[in-house]
Amino acid sequence: MTPTKFEPGDRVRVRTEEKPGHVRTPGYVRGKIGRIEKALGTFKNPESLAYGGSGLPEKPLYKVGFRQTDLWDKYTGQANDILYIDLYAHWLEPARQETS
Amino acid sequence: MTGIHDLGGSPGAGPIDKSQHETEDWERLADAITVALDKKALKTTDEHRRAIESLDPGRYKKLGYYERWIAATELLLVEKGILTSEEIDEKAAEFEESWG
Repeated sequence: MTPTKFEPGDRVRVRTEEKPGHVRTPGYVRGKIGRIEKALGTFKNPESLAYGGSGLPEKPLYKVGFRQTDLWDKYTGQANDILYIDLYAHWLEPARQETS
Repeated sequence: MTGIHDLGGSPGAGPIDKSQHETEDWERLADAITVALDKKALKTTDEHRRAIESLDPGRYKKLGYYERWIAATELLLVEKGILTSEEIDEKAAEFEESWG
């Protein structure tokens, strides 16, 4: 599968599949919808590096923004607070629908 | 289910303990050894993270930050055949004897 390419502003959903082993995608963003803030380039894949692999091919990495209120049920901060996190392309899929 | 290390947002995880303490010598040493092994290309940060995450959950909870680093570094050194558990235990016993 070729890695999906995203542009700043694209809405993306984080994949929820359980992937065994070392991953850099924390549980609290799985299944959540965010927006691509910036393409950060390609980097060796930590999921392979973690087991002594080459990390190749390099994977595209994106800075993704999530509304804090979308992440936490009881979020009490500002409604427009954004959490930014770096996520690899293979953890992201296009999300068309608006969040509620 | 995510691993024991992936605590963000877990019910019952409680607030983050932000208390600080003076860095102790053994903690500096743990850091130095880990970084030196990276520089010598004997292990990678990703392998180290994976090793930390692979610690038994009960042990993971009990250990402090740099204790986890040491446990993970030991695990990798043995896994890669650089040292054996016996060699490490022997040396540890030697130190214990001379330092009490």
